[in-house]
Amino acid sequence: MILYTLRRLAGVIGVLIAVAAVTFTIFYVLPSDPAAAACGKACSTERLTAIRAHMGLDQPLWRQFWDFLSGIFTGRTMGSGQYALRCDFPCLGYSYENSESVWGLLMDRLPVSASLALGAAVLWLALGLSAGVVAALRKDTLTDRVLMVGAVGAASLPVYFTSMMLIYGIIRVAGLLPYPQYVSFADDPAHWASNLLLPWLALAILYAAMYARQSRSSMIETMAEPYIRTARAKGLPRRTVVVKHGLRSGMTPILTLFGMDLGGLLAGAVITESIFGLPGIGRLFYNALSTGDQPVILGVTLLAAAFIVVANLVVDLLYAVVDPRVRL
Amino acid sequence: MTSQSLTPAPGRDIAPGSGPWQLARRELRRRVSVKVSLAIVAVFLLMAAGAPLLSALGGRSPDEFDKSAVDPYLGGQPVGPLGGISADHWLGVEPVTGRDLFARVVHGAQVSLLIALTATAIVVVAGTAAGIAAGYFGGRTDAVLSRLMDLTMSFPSLIFMIAMMSVAKDVNRIVLMTAVIGLFGWPGIARVVRGQTLSLKHREYVDAARVGGAGSWRILTRDILPGVAGPVIAYTTLIIPGMIATEAALSYLGVGVRPPTPSWGQMIAESVSYYDTDPMYFVIPSACLFLTVLAFTLLGDALRDILDPRGSRT
Amino acid sequence: MNMRTCTALATALVATLALGATACSGGTHSMDGKGRGKNPALANQGAVVGGTPKQGGTLTVLSNQDFTHLDPARNWVMSDMEFGTRLLYRTLVTYKAAPGTGGSELVPDLATDLGTSSHGAKTWTFHLKKGIRYEDGTPVTAQDVKYNVERSFSPDLPGGADYAARYLAGAQGYQGPAQGKHLDSIRTPDDHTIVFELRKPFAEFPNATVMPTFAPVPKAQDTGPRYDNRPFSSGPYKIQSYGRGKQLVLVRNQHWDPKTDEVRKAYPDKLVVVMGLKGDQIDDRLIASQGPDASAVSWGALRPESAAKVLPNAEVRKRLLAESTNCTDMVQMHTGRAPFDDVRIRRAVQYALDKDAVLTASGGPAFNDLSTAYMPATLFGGKQPDLLKIPATGDVAKARQLLKEAGKPDGFSTEITVSTGDKGRAEAIQQSLGKAGIKVTIDTVDPSAFYATIGDTTHRTDLVYTGWCPDYPSGSTFLPFVFDGRYIKEKGNSGNHSLFRDKPTMQRMDEIAAMTDAKAANRAWQELDGQILQKAPAVPVLVRRWPLVLGSNIAGAYGQTSFGGQLDYASVGLKDPSKSGS
Repeated sequence: MILYTLRRLAGVIGVLIAVAAVTFTIFYVLPSDPAAAACGKACSTERLTAIRAHMGLDQPLWRQFWDFLSGIFTGRTMGSGQYALRCDFPCLGYSYENSESVWGLLMDRLPVSASLALGAAVLWLALGLSAGVVAALRKDTLTDRVLMVGAVGAASLPVYFTSMMLIYGIIRVAGLLPYPQYVSFADDPAHWASNLLLPWLALAILYAAMYARQSRSSMIETMAEPYIRTARAKGLPRRTVVVKHGLRSGMTPILTLFGMDLGGLLAGAVITESIFGLPGIGRLFYNALSTGDQPVILGVTLLAAAFIVVANLVVDLLYAVVDPRVRL
Repeated sequence: MTSQSLTPAPGRDIAPGSGPWQLARRELRRRVSVKVSLAIVAVFLLMAAGAPLLSALGGRSPDEFDKSAVDPYLGGQPVGPLGGISADHWLGVEPVTGRDLFARVVHGAQVSLLIALTATAIVVVAGTAAGIAAGYFGGRTDAVLSRLMDLTMSFPSLIFMIAMMSVAKDVNRIVLMTAVIGLFGWPGIARVVRGQTLSLKHREYVDAARVGGAGSWRILTRDILPGVAGPVIAYTTLIIPGMIATEAALSYLGVGVRPPTPSWGQMIAESVSYYDTDPMYFVIPSACLFLTVLAFTLLGDALRDILDPRGSRT
Repeated sequence: MNMRTCTALATALVATLALGATACSGGTHSMDGKGRGKNPALANQGAVVGGTPKQGGTLTVLSNQDFTHLDPARNWVMSDMEFGTRLLYRTLVTYKAAPGTGGSELVPDLATDLGTSSHGAKTWTFHLKKGIRYEDGTPVTAQDVKYNVERSFSPDLPGGADYAARYLAGAQGYQGPAQGKHLDSIRTPDDHTIVFELRKPFAEFPNATVMPTFAPVPKAQDTGPRYDNRPFSSGPYKIQSYGRGKQLVLVRNQHWDPKTDEVRKAYPDKLVVVMGLKGDQIDDRLIASQGPDASAVSWGALRPESAAKVLPNAEVRKRLLAESTNCTDMVQMHTGRAPFDDVRIRRAVQYALDKDAVLTASGGPAFNDLSTAYMPATLFGGKQPDLLKIPATGDVAKARQLLKEAGKPDGFSTEITVSTGDKGRAEAIQQSLGKAGIKVTIDTVDPSAFYATIGDTTHRTDLVYTGWCPDYPSGSTFLPFVFDGRYIKEKGNSGNHSLFRDKPTMQRMDEIAAMTDAKAANRAWQELDGQILQKAPAVPVLVRRWPLVLGSNIAGAYGQTSFGGQLDYASVGLKDPSKSGS
């Protein structure tokens, strides 16, 4: 188990380096000039050259990439003299647009994205799994039909449509909630929750629908397994069979899905954050794109990849705990 | 939608020797949801294919402004109720420009579906090829391809797609978007196919063919490919909604097609700010997107139940 | 100002608003009893909304973006300059805090007067007031002003205005103070005197010292690029916290002395700028003006999409500001390259363009004025002339005829570069030029990369859509910047995006610049504007307004005409501070 974990961790680092290399190359090959973006309105050629040198853009690609990679561990110093910028471990670069280190920016925004993702995850797991399990146990009844028709419908609604409907219905017409404006949990937990409720719902509706569908089919398959039939034949109460045996192995495929979804969302739900005006990582990324802030784009991509691979790793390790059939 | 649906309805005669494809067809015909969704898909595909014809019928091109249909003093609101629906504009007009919504929706269908279906085709062809190769040849090929799949799946795909779309300027946006969407989709299907191939590889009929001196290419195309076709078809139908949604999301975020080309995502993005002042403008493209995604999902569900009952979806 | 277009749009909706029909029928219809003009958005033009504010409370600013720069050496965006110089730092000279045209009057700020010139306006001397202090209580000195001007030369601190670089003697090749080098052309004989030596006469130099470049930055507080996130205050407020893209909180600078400041009123105790909100939600919140939103204002202009919610609503209209930005939007054509090197082709574009459609795409006549000349109306004493008399909707037949004369009867294909926000306007241009056979492809570029993209003269597209705003009300800050061929730069070109190199024009500009009689010079600029228009290097399209909806608890509000119509933060406050929460 320990050996396995170590091997996987090495794999994680390998994947991250590969992701960084690919992202780096793409931005190097494709025409875009962060120096020009930083230079502004009256940009003279001399000034552009100076900024370019300052940003390290005059170096060859491999050199820039090496500086970036080694900089993560050793930190970097950009420029010299009075205006030198020190970027400490873990240095993912420096955003000239925001005059801040990329790591600092990411850590500043992470709580917003994490609040959004985790809150929505709780909601969609609760809604989706219960709907799926109920539907599976009542297969082919009216309850099942209604739940599944609802799920297919909800899964087909684009998140921006759901969001606008929620904003219109709950904020504009009913006036039940204020317009979302992020408040940190530490400052005011009640406001934090009430401001995030709609974004949570918008995300949760979509995911809950997908999870209901997945968990239903997974449960149906599990409940048809011979060992469940054996358990029931032994005379175990239905409740025990469902909870102890059915759920346990029926939920393993859901775990994989959950790992990937949560990993993806932690690094920013670009559309949801932009619709509700939440200053999360997705929003940071989107702004970085429109300002050509490459260090931030690279940083967000890496962070997102890190979340995804780490989530996968955690899920695989959890398998061993949840499902006795899995041996690592 | 259930895993037992392969069992035909009791009491019905089945001609001896009915192949799996005939069974599938019969089963499909039995379902209402399939009929409805097939009809919806057919309507939108026809709409996409006949876009120029249809908009000519409506008498409007998708890029033509109509100033008489909007009120400049109200920020360009359409004149008349329901977003300016009239004999002249069957689905009303776009605020500000007065462009005909019917013509734009129809042309938008063309762009959205073209991108989604082409991207799906890329994904399916690349995924199937990679999956079969990995499963059949095994060894180093498998190792390399599997690593590549893992790597691709570790990419934060939406974030990456947005970044690529926003950086590349002087290219055909439709081609680029298709390629970018296709790039991240193939590992899913490759895994399914690889698993299926592994299980087929040592079936007796495959071994027999091998002993009979058939070459790899012949075995792959004659024996393996038909064996994986069922799950591939089911999987294909199931990923189409995702492709449509991805195209819409990219266009929504403003990194999609170049103006004035319409696509559903682009139309929804523009209409969001009018959702309360001109609701029809927002509802129409959203409804199209919703219906198409729904129809493909239902169709995919049915196909999966029939063609791939054990589910290659773990 | 009251640019009207007589479209056949007297629909029931419009009639109930009592707008549209008026212009067509000769103005017999009375306007809502306002009588201030026909445009319903202009009821508050030149007026203060909400009466005199009371001291105290929290003013909330709702924004969909972050500031470009708050570092005074780098701040060169109209709205950001207004915010910075009204709240955080003081400059040598500034604009009076007054609505309407009163806002273009210069008043001394750090300085005791508007500066005195010698050597034929080549040497300028300013004396600083005594008793002006930073947020830590240390006094503001002349050396600090000099230091910030020097900072603006540093390649590490890009983005700022380049007046200092254009005019100061010995400025070529200067790279800022970071290496310990200083500019000899700025002298500080004592702590309260600063002398600028210019390389050419510049009678309007005091106008330039309004720029944040001429705000003080003490050397000890200079953190280089990081200064952008924490400028050191010499104004009435200081930064309490600033999360980039999230929130900026300003609280009172206890060391600011109102006795030294005749401009800033500083009514609220606290300002909170909430950033990264959705534009449409900001509009909706301010229209509804519920609870704490009543004490809020919008940072950005009202979105054209929200016009339908604002204009028909008399209550909201009372809280609407819509001063002109005084910036002319233009389609500039690459005159150095075929086919636009042919004046007939350029005139064909002039005739083909449907300005009315662009106007609608821009939010309609309530929030924009059509433009028939290059310089905005303020430089024509209030009204632009219409020399060419082209209908607002364009004249396709005439355009086709011109194309035929130029040997392109079937038209041609070309490209236009626009900033992302101008996409709708670009589509209107595309559509109308298409009618004349000119097929236009649109390239949208993100706002940040826009100037760099079109500034690259070899790789840019034939057409660009840009605006130019005079920095102060003089033709000398408009025509030479936009049409003098000698200012063209291979890369990083700005202003003259037509790459217009016309000898007679340049000669005339030099003559006007040498004129001593300001009135005669003014008239000459106006005439020159018309002469250039005949040569058609660019098509003037429209002048935008800066519509802002204010919360119902806002008082003392007006658009500052010298800062593009942005809300004047020097005098805005609250009617009832107790309603604004903490």
